[in-house]
Amino acid sequence: MAMRDYASDKEGFKNFFIDFCQTDDEGHKFFKYSEQLSKVAHREQVSFVVELDDLHDMNQELAEAVMKNTRRYTNMVSDVVYEMIPDYKHREVAAKDTLDVYIEHRIMLEARNHRIPGEMRDPRNRYPAELIRRFEVYFKDMSTSKSVPIREVKAEHIGKLVTVRGIVTRCTDVKPLLVVATYSCSACGAETYQPVRSLQFTPPPACTADECRLNKTAGQLHLQTRGSRFQKFQELKIQEHSDQVPVGHIPRQLSVYCRGDTTRRAQPGDHVAITGVFLPLLNSGFRQMVQGLLSDTYLEAHGVTCLNQTDEGEMAEPLTEEELADLAEDDLYSRMARSLAPEIYGHEDVKKALLLLLVGGVDKRPNGMKIRGNINICLMGDPGVAKSQLLNYIDRLAPRSQYTTGRGSSGVGLTAAVLKDPFTGEMMLEGGALVLADQGVCCIDEFDKMAENDRTAIHEVMEQQTISIAKAGIMTCLNARVSILAAANPAYGRYNPKRTIEQNIQLPAALLSRFDLLWLIQDKPNREKDLELAKHIAYVHQHSMQPPGQTRALPMKLVRRYLGLTHRKHPAVPRNLTEYIVSSYVELRREARNARDVTFTSARNLLAILRLSTALARLRLSDMVEKEDVSEAIRLVEMSKQSLQHVEENVQRGISATDRIFAIVRELAGSSNTVKIADVIERCVDKGFKPDQVDNCIEEYENLNVWQVNQVRTKITFM
Amino acid sequence: MHDFSNDFDRVTPDVWMLNEASWNERLVQLPNWQKIPLINSNTSHNLPDGSLVRFRGMVQDMHNPEFFFEQFEVFNTVTNEIKNKSGKYTDTAHILENEKINYTENLKSAQRQTIVVVSMPGLNEWAQTIEDEQNHLEHLHHQPNTSKRSNLNTKLKRSHDDSDDDQSAMDVENEGGANKERRTAEVVKNTTMVVSREHLLNFPLPDVASKSCIVKIYDDSDNLKINDMIEVVGFLSVDPALSGEFQAEKDPLLAPECESEAEIITHNPPPSLVPRLHAVYVKKLEHCNPLVKGAPDQEMILKEANTAREHLLKALKELLLGDELAAEYLICHLIACVYLRQDTFTLGQFCLNISNMPTKKYPDYAKQLYDIIKQFVTKSYYLPLTVDNMNTMALLPKKDYDCNRLTSGILQLSKHTHLVLDETKMEQGNLDASGVNNISALGNLIKLQKVEYDFKYYKMEFDSDINVLVLSEGKSLLPSDYHIPLRPEESSLQIFDAIVEAATYYLKEEIMNTIRTYLTNLKLAKYSISENLQFVEDDFIEMRSNSDSDSPVTADDLHRLLVLARLVSLSRGHDTLSRECWDLTKKMEEERLQRLKNRAPAL
Repeated sequence: MAMRDYASDKEGFKNFFIDFCQTDDEGHKFFKYSEQLSKVAHREQVSFVVELDDLHDMNQELAEAVMKNTRRYTNMVSDVVYEMIPDYKHREVAAKDTLDVYIEHRIMLEARNHRIPGEMRDPRNRYPAELIRRFEVYFKDMSTSKSVPIREVKAEHIGKLVTVRGIVTRCTDVKPLLVVATYSCSACGAETYQPVRSLQFTPPPACTADECRLNKTAGQLHLQTRGSRFQKFQELKIQEHSDQVPVGHIPRQLSVYCRGDTTRRAQPGDHVAITGVFLPLLNSGFRQMVQGLLSDTYLEAHGVTCLNQTDEGEMAEPLTEEELADLAEDDLYSRMARSLAPEIYGHEDVKKALLLLLVGGVDKRPNGMKIRGNINICLMGDPGVAKSQLLNYIDRLAPRSQYTTGRGSSGVGLTAAVLKDPFTGEMMLEGGALVLADQGVCCIDEFDKMAENDRTAIHEVMEQQTISIAKAGIMTCLNARVSILAAANPAYGRYNPKRTIEQNIQLPAALLSRFDLLWLIQDKPNREKDLELAKHIAYVHQHSMQPPGQTRALPMKLVRRYLGLTHRKHPAVPRNLTEYIVSSYVELRREARNARDVTFTSARNLLAILRLSTALARLRLSDMVEKEDVSEAIRLVEMSKQSLQHVEENVQRGISATDRIFAIVRELAGSSNTVKIADVIERCVDKGFKPDQVDNCIEEYENLNVWQVNQVRTKITFM
Repeated sequence: MHDFSNDFDRVTPDVWMLNEASWNERLVQLPNWQKIPLINSNTSHNLPDGSLVRFRGMVQDMHNPEFFFEQFEVFNTVTNEIKNKSGKYTDTAHILENEKINYTENLKSAQRQTIVVVSMPGLNEWAQTIEDEQNHLEHLHHQPNTSKRSNLNTKLKRSHDDSDDDQSAMDVENEGGANKERRTAEVVKNTTMVVSREHLLNFPLPDVASKSCIVKIYDDSDNLKINDMIEVVGFLSVDPALSGEFQAEKDPLLAPECESEAEIITHNPPPSLVPRLHAVYVKKLEHCNPLVKGAPDQEMILKEANTAREHLLKALKELLLGDELAAEYLICHLIACVYLRQDTFTLGQFCLNISNMPTKKYPDYAKQLYDIIKQFVTKSYYLPLTVDNMNTMALLPKKDYDCNRLTSGILQLSKHTHLVLDETKMEQGNLDASGVNNISALGNLIKLQKVEYDFKYYKMEFDSDINVLVLSEGKSLLPSDYHIPLRPEESSLQIFDAIVEAATYYLKEEIMNTIRTYLTNLKLAKYSISENLQFVEDDFIEMRSNSDSDSPVTADDLHRLLVLARLVSLSRGHDTLSRECWDLTKKMEEERLQRLKNRAPAL
């Protein structure tokens, strides 16, 4: 490969700094780098940042060269800027520190001593560049370049600009690092400068000034701290994120050296993205002598950015093509629901509800009123129906969650406790599980076992999403924007369908109505289902894998990332849907009045439907709630009610789906003889029937000559 | 005659590198591995630096990769000669006093992996003894260090001697430095780092003699995982100068460096204690039973299974005070291992809880039982679950950022290790935070076969395959897959001490070896289930419909049954599920559940 023409690159940079401009919205031209140059010239800014995105626009080839050999170009840009600064200096700069004064003096002195006419000599030349340059050059990586996993930063990256992500595990104090050492000679008084480029240096043995050399006095050199230039220096250790580590490996670490402006950007525990040059470091001293063959490596930081908290940092990474393809494969909603606790067979509707709980509805604040968007779910059921397993899984999956059991936690443990500091005697607030799970999920197992007075603490959280404290002189309100997922056992061992829910799980109606969905999970022997289950398990044992017919469960990490994406959407309910929602609600109320209902249907149900439908829209990553979302939400509410009544119906009536659909059609028809099929389907879907069930019903009764269907199959006419 | 082993005896890194491919090939085909000194059995200080040795152990930690010079130039200041050298398979440059390394050009650097390998945690005495016998090399123990060296060819000898001189010179210098440092440190801050042997060895289990090695791996593939069992062949590097204790003093102002003293010392332990090994060949081990060699022969294993089973059953039945059912379950437990892992789902784990231990009569019954079990299994560990132990012991491995390494915990065990938890030792008391953590860690291990390592800023789960046996008086406070209350026979109960004696007498070395081989082999044996599982499905449906509401039959029960059926079949030497074994399994479970229902009064 031919040597690069560095002179032309230098020219390229010069032109780039002068010419590059951005036009803002109002048409003003903004010379980004000229601006920076003049700021640097006036010592208003220390770092001079070159964005590779900009450079790439102007000179693609140069940008690529920079990325491959960043160290060299850093020095080059430093030279270029140094040369250009005088042109941008419009006024005198007030000295900012002693070093400024010192340098100014030296330059003046030099200029005075060398007033030989005809000699055009820049007095700054005698001094090492590092001493006089008071700016630092940094490159900013292209926005398109991907971060490299720490594990993959290898020998081939040496000298190149890389961006890595990780968590800071250790950082040293910021210390001054000698950049240029200035010595003065005890014999002749001349000053000697020594640029220090590595972490260690050996002071020169004797004065090398002309005077001393000629006289052979070999004067002693003394380090002048005030004349030397120091730079802030900090070393960080970053470690891989847990998701970047292959299974069964230990996370790797990387040392990062930060100088000047890049110091003090991060603290241990922070999640950071660091752009820097990967460089080898020669060992010296002990290590060089012994292990002369080893070289440590480090990343010289060009930019340190703190990422937000864990979850957001992880979510920030957009989904890759493959993942998107994987997600788009088929019905996302049911597939994701099935991916929740894949080891638990069946219970699809419960899982769907739990998925929506994780997604959450949209918070609304009309005129200061606050309507929560979080969805609360209570799972009830006989012992041993995997309730706790479901809770555990959600606890593991949710980015932010707390798991407690009702028996083990007091009201104080759930909400917040006021503690007295043993040393200062001050009162302190300590958050409980609900506060710690703010903006997350709080899983409470054995909800029914909770003491009465502890349970009251939850009332406020579940509707207002705050916790008010008035204890020991502390009056405050803490946020507790949590979704509550509770599991409860029936009071008398088994759920008794003849009693109401209140009696069954001995929870007050006020609390129960705050749950958007109540599910009764039952495990009844059922020949067909049992056979299916047995076949499923047998297959797993035979072939050591899940049966192929089933959709593959999505990996937990992907689900988590997708959930992160959904949280960015805030879908709204369009006006034209309100009527539909209202009518459905009225229908629910009416039914509740008529049937011997064990649940309550209150205004809270309407809100629940709204929450569920916004969550469904979020799940589709849509900004608008659609009719399908609402009908699915109603279906879930309906199903949850049915799960409570299930037993009863089977025993008393034993009515098949077809019969029930027929009843609905009858009801719809009312006094008139004709019904639109579209209406029938809509109503039936709301009630939890599938369209094909409706079709079957229509066909069956048509064969029985109960009704007639017109040619285009849009209308049913009773005979 | 060309003697292979002798050749390997003398090979040096330089000779090896001349023709790496052929050496590697010859190594793999080497008929007598034993002749390569195994430093688990032969102490490393009898071996010269740079000789080819073996080490067997478990990957305990992985450090950051190291960059080293694969090719570099050495300039001799006296003769002005330039030599090319390689830093592969060595830690020190072996340069003469008047030679200089050219750091500026013609350097070629490469990367190597550094892992910490500790000898198998929990390896039982009998296995160690057999291994020692098999790998004992007589000559190493008689020849003193120097005469061994004279065996090497002369050219090498010189270079060794030279480097020796060099080193000793350096040692003096360094020691001076270290002393000085110590002195100054005492004066200034009194922070002398004196670290214990245990700290440097970092062995998972306390109170067990162990060895560890720092292994450098040159091959780039990342297939080694933590807690894998491996056997490494590599060049030994025991240059005393590698120890981090001999560290020159440095000026904190001029050399700000992140590596703390603690880190340097832990990462550079004295090579006499922790030798370095430059691997030329790494083999993953499936087991470490010295009695089982070569690839498992499925047919032989199955054929011999029944005889071994008979012996084992007889012994265990007596030891479990005449309780045959418990003995059957214990056999299944001993041969169980995880065979399927999918996302959150694990199959094959078999945590057994034997309750109703006759502690009133024999307070140490659990320990006595363990003493026999450890004679059978290759790797095991006995952990009394006392409140004190739970509060003070470190069960979970934890990343120590001061020393920058993974500090091991008891649960960092390689696969197929048997962990026996003795709950009969538990007394009343308070568990503090770490105690609760430890208990829940044990619970997670049992339920999910996963151990959570603490990396301070986050936790990471690592898969494990540890068989847990809980011995308790009542039902254990830990979860278990199978719980069986012991039902001792009154007659056996009276003469338990005699039984133990008789058992040790009955279990002669020969029978023991059969049992030991049997237990290891069955873990490796293949097993399949035929397509037709009608009887299983039918039975399940029947069980479901017959189940009463208090103890419903769930999917978990079917999983459990199928796992048990697999072990019942395997233990009897069938590699597929047959009707008979299935019925047998069902009977066992029925009997066990029956026993759970009407529990015998505590003894």
